[in-house]
Amino acid sequence: MTTPAGADAPPNEFDEVKAKVQDHRFIPGQPDMWAFVLFETLVFTSYFVVYLLFRAQHHELYLQAQANLDLRIGIFNTIALLLSSWAVARCVQASRDGAYRSALTNAFMTIFFGFVFFVSKVLEWAKEIRMGNGFTTNEFFQHYFFLTSIHFLHLLIGFIVMGVVIYQLWSPKRRSQELVETGATYWHTVDFLWVLIFALLYVVR
Amino acid sequence: MSAPAAEAMAPLVQPGSPISRFIWHCRNNPKRELWFAWWTTVVFYNFFTISFFVLSRTQPPANPALDAQGAAHWFEKNHYGILLGFAIMFLVTGMTAPQNALIAYSMRRMSISPAFGYSYLVLYSLSAVPGMLLLCIVLTVGAMRPERDPELQQWLFDLGFLSYVGTMGVFLIGSIVWMLAILIDKNRVFPKWFAYLNLCNALTEVVVSPAWIFHSGVFAWNGVIAWWIDMVVFGIYTGVFITLLRNMIRREDFGTGALPDLPPKRMLETSSLAKAAS
Amino acid sequence: MRRTDGELILFWTLPAMAVIWISAFFLFPGFVHPMSPTMSADEVAAFYRENTGRIRFSMVLFNWFCVCLIPVLMLLVVQMRKMAHRTPIFSYCMLGCAAGGPAIFLIANLFWLLAAFRPERPAELTQLYNDLAWVTFTIQVPYLIMQSVLLALAIYCDRQSRPVFKPWVAHFNLLVAAALAPAAFTGLALGGPMAWDGFLPFWVKNITIAVWIAVMGVVVGQAIRRQRVEDGVAA
Repeated sequence: MTTPAGADAPPNEFDEVKAKVQDHRFIPGQPDMWAFVLFETLVFTSYFVVYLLFRAQHHELYLQAQANLDLRIGIFNTIALLLSSWAVARCVQASRDGAYRSALTNAFMTIFFGFVFFVSKVLEWAKEIRMGNGFTTNEFFQHYFFLTSIHFLHLLIGFIVMGVVIYQLWSPKRRSQELVETGATYWHTVDFLWVLIFALLYVVR
Repeated sequence: MSAPAAEAMAPLVQPGSPISRFIWHCRNNPKRELWFAWWTTVVFYNFFTISFFVLSRTQPPANPALDAQGAAHWFEKNHYGILLGFAIMFLVTGMTAPQNALIAYSMRRMSISPAFGYSYLVLYSLSAVPGMLLLCIVLTVGAMRPERDPELQQWLFDLGFLSYVGTMGVFLIGSIVWMLAILIDKNRVFPKWFAYLNLCNALTEVVVSPAWIFHSGVFAWNGVIAWWIDMVVFGIYTGVFITLLRNMIRREDFGTGALPDLPPKRMLETSSLAKAAS
Repeated sequence: MRRTDGELILFWTLPAMAVIWISAFFLFPGFVHPMSPTMSADEVAAFYRENTGRIRFSMVLFNWFCVCLIPVLMLLVVQMRKMAHRTPIFSYCMLGCAAGGPAIFLIANLFWLLAAFRPERPAELTQLYNDLAWVTFTIQVPYLIMQSVLLALAIYCDRQSRPVFKPWVAHFNLLVAAALAPAAFTGLALGGPMAWDGFLPFWVKNITIAVWIAVMGVVVGQAIRRQRVEDGVAA
């Protein structure tokens, strides 16, 4: 059977993974990571519920405060993370196909787009603070800074996770497809949570 | 591990009353030191719950928005509960040592550097003094002299609650140490999802940090996000690790390789050693 | 032959520590006739104003040397490692406990020193520091109780032909744990035998600690000497 270009992984693991992909009940990455994703999503959902409840009580205040946010920056952030998710998905696919050089490139692209988000977020915070809207300014901004900060922290953890993924992909001896997919799952969660935050904070009026 | 082999290793279990079986275990069970640590942990959390939630009413926390008179009044209202509840804590806080020892032991059983276990032991051993005992001491002093100036009572009130809620670093770093240990471990002592749960617990210490800023609202020390949701996560985490530690003890084979899985239920009925050890 | 390993040096710090502690204990004017919780704020402030030098000196001494007990506790941990246990759990527990006791005493010590730092401050503030110091000092028993319980358990579990410690040491430690327990409840009383200057939380607790240190010191010393003879250590 032909070895795909660039493949250094032992044939058995490669076949195994391909077989797994064809199996419809296949879970990418560690099932444990999915348990974590579920749990974190529940926790974040509770934060969103709290936000919505308090928003319903002080509708006017929240509307006014929301006007201080620039929707365009929000959209830019969302696109940056969506691009990073796309990159990490390509990375997983390339890794499955054995194209490790391509997988590595995509992993770095993921980090690059994540970094774009990072810089953009910091600049946005600086802008809001210069405008006089800080963590303690009013209830809306409490939630805004809290949600974006805790998400930002998850993004930073995501960089570490992508570091682990790159470490795995780099050397032929270490390539664990499961770890790569686990890392990708985590990164997708970071993106997913941002989309929810974006919708809640920037869009819902 | 087959049932006949397990039976062959089993010393004779005397059937008899629960008391005589208990005494037999104390004398002969090879895992008695581990079970001692585990049961001490369970007993401690029961005392803790009664002391903090029922007697002293420190959990759920009092309102930080109370003024000096309000704080003084809170001390008066909970006078005996505070004094008795914390007296119990002064008696039993030593029980946290076996809990930390058991968790440090679990990390020694892993295929990783001993530094992880020692780090955890030291981190959590020192955590109780600023993180819990300080609250107990300070609120006891507040309750002992109800006629003290309300401004001073509020000073004690703040010191008590914030030292407890706000001692974050130990649990943050400690949880991350445990998480790393589990992720790198090849001996399958704990499931990987528990490593990620440690990350969730560590993050609650980040989420609670606004308590140092706000006197009211969802991020105050009694707030919906900073206390209630964090408590749910912490409660789940504690229940989970107590169960996982129990499973670890049952699976323990005193070797250095991967920990065997729990024997299936069918075998637990037939194997007397498994029954004795569980 | 085992090389010089310093255990004896650590061991002989114990009598030196005892001398320093006892001196500091008698130097502090608030111990020999223990201060009462019922003293008014003005009386407390007067106490700190009139005895500032002795208070500061004795408490600085305690601050320097209160953690001296830890190396001796570690000698105990080393002995525990020699017991016939399946796991190192008991020694880990002792490690955890050893950190707690001196830490709590240090905090009490800081409060006393703070009380004496600005004796001219409002009387109620000095009384607050004094209260914090005395309560912290009196309730510092949880780790000491657990230490004794652990030692007793460890000795009961030590089943070999020549156990490290004799059984009476275990019984003694259980008695010590029981004697220290009442001090935890001192918050409930401002006067009488349960107050921080009362019979149980002050006299029984402190004498028990002193006796425990003395007895365990002798026992550990004997164990070390016996082991050195058996192992043939140089010094």
